[in-house]
Amino acid sequence: MTTTATTALGPTGSAPAARRPRGGGGGLLRFIIVRFLLIFPTIFILVTMVFVLMRSIGDPITASLGGRLTADQLAERIHSAGYDRPIIVQYVEYIGQIFTGNFGTAISDGRPVLQLLVTYGGATLELAFYALIVAFIVGIPLGMLAAYLRDKWPDAVLRVFAILCYATPVFFAGLLLKLVFSVWLKVLPVAGRASTRTELNMSKLGDRRTGIYLIDAIQLGSPAAIGDVLQHAVLPGLALGLLTAGVFLRLVRTNVIGTLSMDYVDAARSRGVSEYRLVRRHAYKPALVPIITVIGLQIAMLLGGAVLTETTFEWKGLGFKLAEYLTARDFVAVQGIVTLLAVIVALSNFIVDVIAALIDPRVRY
Amino acid sequence: MSTTTETAEPRRRVTLWQRLPVVHQLRQSVGLQRGMLIAGLIITGIFLLTAIFAPLIAPYGFSQLRDADGVSFGAQVPPGGAHLLGTTVGGYDVLSRVIWGSQTALGVIVVAVVLSIFAGVILGLISGYIGGWLDRVLVVIADAVFAFPTLLLAIVAAIAISGGQSSLFGGILAAAISITVVYIPQYFRVIRAETVRIKSEAYVESAKVVGSSTGRIMFRHVLRNATRTLPLLFTLNSSEAILTLAGLGFLGFGIQPTAAAEWGYDLNRSISDVTSGIWWTSVFPGLAIVLVVLGITLVGESLNDLADPRLRTRRKASAVPAPTAETSAVLEGTDPNS
Amino acid sequence: MTSASKKRVLGAFAGTAVFALALAGCAASGGDTGGDTSSDSLIVGTTDKVTFIDPAGSYDNGSFAIMNQVYPFLLNSPQGTSDVEPDIAVSAEYTSPTEYTVVLKDGLKFANGHDLTSSDVVFSFERQLTIADENGPSVLLGNIDKVEATDDKTVVFTLKNGDDQTFAQILSSPAAPIVDEEVFSATEVTPDADIVAGNAFAGQYVITSYDFNNLVSFEANPEYQGVLGAAKTKNIDLKYYTDAANLKLDVQEGNIDVAHRSLSATDVADLQGNDNVNVVVGPGGEIRYIVFNFNTQPYGATTAEADPAKALAVRQAVADLVDRQEISDQVYKGTYLPLYSYVPDGLTGATQVLKDLYGDGNGGPDADKAAAVLADAGVTTPVALNLQYNPDHYGESSGDEYALVKSQLEASGLFTVNLQSTEWVTYSKDRTADLYPAYQLGWFPDYSDADNYLTPFFTTNNFLANHYDNQEVNQLIVDQATEQDPATRQSDIEEIQAKVAADLSTVPLLQGSQIAVTGKDVTGAVLDGSFKFRYGSLVKG
Repeated sequence: MTTTATTALGPTGSAPAARRPRGGGGGLLRFIIVRFLLIFPTIFILVTMVFVLMRSIGDPITASLGGRLTADQLAERIHSAGYDRPIIVQYVEYIGQIFTGNFGTAISDGRPVLQLLVTYGGATLELAFYALIVAFIVGIPLGMLAAYLRDKWPDAVLRVFAILCYATPVFFAGLLLKLVFSVWLKVLPVAGRASTRTELNMSKLGDRRTGIYLIDAIQLGSPAAIGDVLQHAVLPGLALGLLTAGVFLRLVRTNVIGTLSMDYVDAARSRGVSEYRLVRRHAYKPALVPIITVIGLQIAMLLGGAVLTETTFEWKGLGFKLAEYLTARDFVAVQGIVTLLAVIVALSNFIVDVIAALIDPRVRY
Repeated sequence: MSTTTETAEPRRRVTLWQRLPVVHQLRQSVGLQRGMLIAGLIITGIFLLTAIFAPLIAPYGFSQLRDADGVSFGAQVPPGGAHLLGTTVGGYDVLSRVIWGSQTALGVIVVAVVLSIFAGVILGLISGYIGGWLDRVLVVIADAVFAFPTLLLAIVAAIAISGGQSSLFGGILAAAISITVVYIPQYFRVIRAETVRIKSEAYVESAKVVGSSTGRIMFRHVLRNATRTLPLLFTLNSSEAILTLAGLGFLGFGIQPTAAAEWGYDLNRSISDVTSGIWWTSVFPGLAIVLVVLGITLVGESLNDLADPRLRTRRKASAVPAPTAETSAVLEGTDPNS
Repeated sequence: MTSASKKRVLGAFAGTAVFALALAGCAASGGDTGGDTSSDSLIVGTTDKVTFIDPAGSYDNGSFAIMNQVYPFLLNSPQGTSDVEPDIAVSAEYTSPTEYTVVLKDGLKFANGHDLTSSDVVFSFERQLTIADENGPSVLLGNIDKVEATDDKTVVFTLKNGDDQTFAQILSSPAAPIVDEEVFSATEVTPDADIVAGNAFAGQYVITSYDFNNLVSFEANPEYQGVLGAAKTKNIDLKYYTDAANLKLDVQEGNIDVAHRSLSATDVADLQGNDNVNVVVGPGGEIRYIVFNFNTQPYGATTAEADPAKALAVRQAVADLVDRQEISDQVYKGTYLPLYSYVPDGLTGATQVLKDLYGDGNGGPDADKAAAVLADAGVTTPVALNLQYNPDHYGESSGDEYALVKSQLEASGLFTVNLQSTEWVTYSKDRTADLYPAYQLGWFPDYSDADNYLTPFFTTNNFLANHYDNQEVNQLIVDQATEQDPATRQSDIEEIQAKVAADLSTVPLLQGSQIAVTGKDVTGAVLDGSFKFRYGSLVKG
């Protein structure tokens, strides 16, 4: 992940400087409108890309029945499902469907894709939430500490810690965490989002189920259920959160150091303001601005990218399902999920860019 | 992107491009920063040497199952004796797999980084310099690719590129190209942004006035200056390439054991070993990944610090009130490791 | 900077850390969600996946595992055997060569109160044939010409080919669960939610809560009167895993009571030494084998140096050289066992014919014999063999298995093996397109009858498409399928295996075992030749 994220540059904010002559007309509103319109081609390109890629790696029928049927039988089934039509015809058909809000039905298990998005999106959202909490709690104070103790040995230790967070593959970290906390210490569950009993209780909620277990547990009003859900969240939250924490740590350190070396901070320092006060008052807030925008990006990435974490911990979310559907070559489901992710990522990039533009007018173009 | 040091000393930038910079920065560094850089260089150096001399160092082949007398190694043999680090669930020698794995990792890094640099740099340069509609279209496409979940793009690309085949070079190439697809947009963005900025610099303007051709300006003036941030980008993408490769291997879309040794694959196969108390099959490939990424990242971060006056250790202040350290701003988001 | 201010900063950081720890601790102490696990409920874990619980919409192990608990069959195998008996029927037999007549028991009901009559039976089979879903099992019903109800309790199946000896087994297969015509759609696959809401179950259990591929709750069905008897444990929860290591840890730690399908070999070996669990092993129907393409293998019919005798010698040499025991021990730790014929052990008619024909006569390899076979046929060694396997369909150990096969073949000096792997979809297409001279394949039976290991494989138009064609074998396969006398049928089946073993259309390697791991206090896990795992016999405490 973003080992080095330092500024507010989102994917689309790639070229803040000098795209247009500075101070040129248009202003903020124009920027926002242009930037908003750019969301659509982004999504469109992604949908096209995933469509073409998925068709190039095989069809769901061969994936499920290739080991049992003869070539003729397979071809017949593929034909009756229409997967042997020209790709452009299938593409136009799919785009047409999307415009009417119809994401289709997953081929391999027959679930409506929209329902999939709701069911599994909640899980992913929840995991991202826990990961962000861990990242905040670990990354931000430690980053400030590192900046404060800059170039002393704790700084070096913290920086190496940050790199280790990033350098340890999440499945390896997950394995070790499980071994320590679940098998040796027996304090935390191995995997999953809640124990069987809690999940059964939640299923009694019926339509009020949100798919976000923490909320469901609170709705149940049972402290035991809430505890159970939180207990299951600790390890996955840690595994993914530490990864992000490494990014935050580095980001905070760099930005606090950056602001500490600013002229006005020097001025404050020369007035005799204590170093602690400098970090707390003067360096902290300005440093937080780029962090907020990076967080926006991180959320998008956490939503889309947590495949390995979700797989390791049986966290049945979008990334996990996506890998599963990919193996089944279920184009419809993969396309649907990726489209949703594309929308989320594009929207959060948009928001990040707008925030960046509000903070720093030079970014506008 | 960087507004930090580009205006001064064109001569130094030449040497930078000529790969002297690491030496230069090593001399420039002091204290802990120097320690981190040196540590990173040592780890990376060991990695490179291991990869290059793998055939000499490794006691056995990466897919060898029997010794010279035709006696089978046996599966999950504990460390010691003929197998210093034990054997895997498939009956391979762990030490040999770890050593040969560095070769696969290096191969993937080299191919991936070279490909992404070439494609990314050329596209970024053209897009940034020429601008207009081409630029806009390329930016949107790059952003779209960037928004695609990295690992999934890599999986799909790996299947599509290899046609599902897993062979020695095919496997490495598939992994490398799939990683490339993901990282081109990053190189593209850095170079494009640099190009856009440099384009309006005085010396480029003057070259135009003198009547230099577009191509000449692009490659002589702009490229030379725009690629200044590449070494940093290079180290970061190297480590991400390793993590993506391991992720692919872990999810079962990577290189098969008889085609090459690959750490992610070995880790995947060792999951049930760990829970059964067989620790040696996972710890060593896992450590190999962590160490290599650590080494490369240490080098990258140190270079970044040294390129940025505010982060450089020696002096405190600098006259550059730049927007914070934009040098490395481009890489957030893609996460092969989650 | 003053030391005091430094302390305050450090204190702030420490505070954060304590808070984090407290959070973790609080979560950890959240503890069990109360309630002791009384013996009227237990939890089963699996890594299988469900697609649909509608029998017309799915044809996979995971979905069939659920169907076996909740739907009745006309014929079913009582626990401990692979032979079928009437389940919800009182009789099932041929009343003429092409008419198979089933008479239902009296007073059958679905759990929702609807009567289960012959009309439901006709409906169940007709909808399979009408829907013929691409992921469904309707292909198994290919021999049915029509299904008619002659009265409320009698159903007559009219068959295209008379005296089909596999038909009784087919009536216990994934194509044959009996469903409620008032709940299921006649023309399309019925959504899971409708089935659960309609409570359209008449097996040992009903489903009370259905969270797709995550958690399914079963409750004993008092209406069931079939051959399996009433369920012994009232509530069963079925929990789905994706990672076998997590399943293993949970059963090991006692978080679930039964783990069934599929633990890795290492996990099973480890659990066998664990005092907290029982490992139950039963015969498995799954087989693994190497297919030879008679056209493209070395000296195959379309190669430059085509020579059937040499081609046969190459196949024989491979059969002489493979060491199945070593693969079974090293790669699978006994979770797969050596297979020395085409029909696996445990089924009526199974032999061990390859043990006698090839290798050292005891199942072990024999390099000298292989060398002699090749020399006699005039084959120049080493023979270059392109061997393909698939890494993502038959379990993650496939790579290890084939690496070992390669090493066994090459250790003799008689072969140089070019081992390649291809992902599943491409693999499935390429193998029937004559691209692979020799390749890995596996098979899981549709029903527990030797025929299911013969007809699909060795008749002229087999699904292997490996150009194997032996008219004698063909005729014998047709004969056994309609042979009324069990003893004659068995000898036909044995003869087919002997003949194919001489030709070596495929080289069988391994036979899977069924494995279930249960907590120490759980009994009643039965794994038999029916390959159906019934929750109804499980008892805890």
